[in-house]
Amino acid sequence: MTPTTPQELAGSLRAAAEKKQTIGLRGASTKRRMAAAGREPAIAISTTSLNQILQYEPKDLTISVQAGLRWADLRALLAANRQMIPLDPPYAQQATVGGVVAANTSGPRRRWFGTARDLVIGMTFIPIDGLAVQTGGMVVKNVAGLDMGKLLIGSMGTLAAIASVNFKLAPLPEATRTFVFSDRNPEPVFARRDEILKSVLQPSSLDLVNPAAAAKIGIDGWSLLVRAGGSQRVLDRYSRELPAAQVCEGPAESKLWESIEEFTPSYLAEFPAARVVRVSSTLREVRAVAGTLPGPVVSRAGNGVTYGYLPPETRWSPPAEWQACYEYGGGDDAWLNSGDDLPLMRRVKQMLDPDGLLNPGRYYGRF
Amino acid sequence: MIPADAKRKLTEIAGNAFLDRPEDMRLYEYDGGVDKALPEIVLFPETAAQIAAILRVALDHRIPLLGRGAGTGLSGGAIPCRGGIVVSFARMNRILEIDLDNERAVVEPGVVNLDLTLAVQGRKYFFAPDPSSQRACTIGGNVAENAGGPHTLAYGVTTNHVLGLEAVLPDGAIVHTGGMGQDHPGLDLTGLLTGSEGTMALITKVTVRLMRQPEAVKTILAIYDTVDDCANTVSEITARAITPAAVEMLDGVMLRMVEEATHAGYPMDAAAVLLIELEGLQEAVEEQVEQVRDACAACHAREFRIARHAQERELLWKGRKNAFGAIGRVSPFYYVQDGVVPRTQIAPTLRAIGGIGSRCGLTISNIFHAGDGNMHPIILFDARKPGDLKKAQRAGEDILDHCISVGGSITGEHGIGMEKVELMRHLYSEESLEMMRRLKSLFDPDGMLNPGKLLPTGKGCTEIRQLPLVNEKTML
Repeated sequence: MTPTTPQELAGSLRAAAEKKQTIGLRGASTKRRMAAAGREPAIAISTTSLNQILQYEPKDLTISVQAGLRWADLRALLAANRQMIPLDPPYAQQATVGGVVAANTSGPRRRWFGTARDLVIGMTFIPIDGLAVQTGGMVVKNVAGLDMGKLLIGSMGTLAAIASVNFKLAPLPEATRTFVFSDRNPEPVFARRDEILKSVLQPSSLDLVNPAAAAKIGIDGWSLLVRAGGSQRVLDRYSRELPAAQVCEGPAESKLWESIEEFTPSYLAEFPAARVVRVSSTLREVRAVAGTLPGPVVSRAGNGVTYGYLPPETRWSPPAEWQACYEYGGGDDAWLNSGDDLPLMRRVKQMLDPDGLLNPGRYYGRF
Repeated sequence: MIPADAKRKLTEIAGNAFLDRPEDMRLYEYDGGVDKALPEIVLFPETAAQIAAILRVALDHRIPLLGRGAGTGLSGGAIPCRGGIVVSFARMNRILEIDLDNERAVVEPGVVNLDLTLAVQGRKYFFAPDPSSQRACTIGGNVAENAGGPHTLAYGVTTNHVLGLEAVLPDGAIVHTGGMGQDHPGLDLTGLLTGSEGTMALITKVTVRLMRQPEAVKTILAIYDTVDDCANTVSEITARAITPAAVEMLDGVMLRMVEEATHAGYPMDAAAVLLIELEGLQEAVEEQVEQVRDACAACHAREFRIARHAQERELLWKGRKNAFGAIGRVSPFYYVQDGVVPRTQIAPTLRAIGGIGSRCGLTISNIFHAGDGNMHPIILFDARKPGDLKKAQRAGEDILDHCISVGGSITGEHGIGMEKVELMRHLYSEESLEMMRRLKSLFDPDGMLNPGKLLPTGKGCTEIRQLPLVNEKTML
């Protein structure tokens, strides 16, 4: 089913709920295996025909769009006004806004700009009872009522269907420049990261890759990728502060970052049965995490979020003390060690979807 | 009334750290807002375990309970409007951990906001949320209300800086949400609890993000002969892709009150001023100063002053942050509102506020976070005159209705509290409110925590909704 209005979307949900049919909520279906593939639903509802721009006043630096709008189209529209939502999600060409938000995908610029939880200012979502719920609004600062949107971000479509999303926007930087530090050993690269973290520099991205990942994106050895934005004068300051780096600008820079942002899609295209581990750690622990993971490693080294790529034949699994999950390929054990708040999460799920009909099993196999 | 045996248990749990004399209760009947109600007892626990035990007693005896930080809130969030127990976090005020390598701190809820920044500023870090009350307000209160401040324009509000919580649920269960790291799998309960105004859980520990201080800071005072020109500068700055750290606006009435009280150097004869702060790398700040200068000139600023040194800068901010105190010199009572409008709507909204003031015969002054459209009209009144408070509250409601009509919100940072409970219906559909009620009830099925706040009572049903207990196993 591909409803063309929020009312039709609500109607489809309600109809399926009455028949107790399991429902697969879909955007562009780019991340079908993310978190957990889940069980095959009885019916699929796609938001791809809900693709309108609802409100956009560039001078307010906000936009409201329907969930089925393609991320690439949204990005192009904003770029025409020299604005952006700096989320850099994977599958950027095909993914929908709703899918990006429901999966809480993000990319390298989260170091400075944050993730969907920082950039989404409002949302309309439709639970399985078909009654649309509005949360937040169209202003950048708003504490009226519970921030329910936070629950939907990253919920993998297991709580409700996202019908529309409101974002705050940022101006596009005048220019960007990327500095790449590479070494055969990880220590000098991590030392450089630590220096930058403690410095006055404010890079938008601070990613670190191991040699196996570097080889896939056309660089060598352990590498730190630092991206700065601003005027030529500002970028020249970065050049002075970051000597001994390979400088990357223009089309080569765009290509480099695209290969980082699309690392997961490319890897899974090459090895469809691969597992992708996502590790949440402190900044300091990134060193140990990156050194332990077999296979390619891409780390948001300024956030402590590290992605490890495990080829299909690898039997390795993460140490029990890590805060980790299988972002891809994990099945029902995808979330390795949940905390004492899991019962509360289950109660939220139970409240919104008592019969467990929405995207069954897709929440890391837990619901 | 709290039964005697319950009271005995409570005081025992609190290790005799409690107050219950009527004269002491007077100190806990108010916060920074206009409402008042007396608690029956104030407890001063020091641990989450004590709080859990207190909650279990309260639940057994159905005694309403609420947490209290410094009581600086402006929407009545800390008013015990149904009496009962106030749990003060005054003795849970330790900074437990500072880990600058990881840009994190773990604090107890009673830590004063500014004290965290003071603890790390020598090493060039800071805690970004900076409410004007930051010298007194607590981080627990900031989390409960999702507090903002002038610099949230650049750095985001409290929720953007909270990574994990330890919380005690009304049944005494202690849960941990989020953590030191980011992107833990799991629904974002940290984000849901932040800003829930103490209605779902009591927060006993907060993991926050610390940020590296910027290299350079420039503070600018732009002076205008008309309010419209001043207001229009805000969207002009946005249109020019400049991203200041703070853009504060003071209108003429406010300026004169602030200047008389603080001698910060604000012009006495202007119609309005903008206080603009730029932060970042030296080069970026220098360029932005020129870009802001152009934007101000395009909007006919009469004068453009850059603070010459730290002292001048601090004086300007002192004027801004102590503005509410300055009002006392002019008006015995005032009522601060907190609405938000899209940035392009600031000028028309200020005109609407002026109109509302004239209609009700009250002076309304404005000092607010213009950069994010967060209006703070200050309604001057005299509570000794019969009907004046009602008039002021009515004017506040009219202003908020205007904010809603132009696509805004009824609170940007002060919270709904008890002040705006009924206005929630103007902003949200019944379905949206019902969803909030259901979520609240999931955490607090008996409606024990901070009753009468945040959510209007449902149509035809009581606020308290008993939900069937969920068998966790059925979810697998």
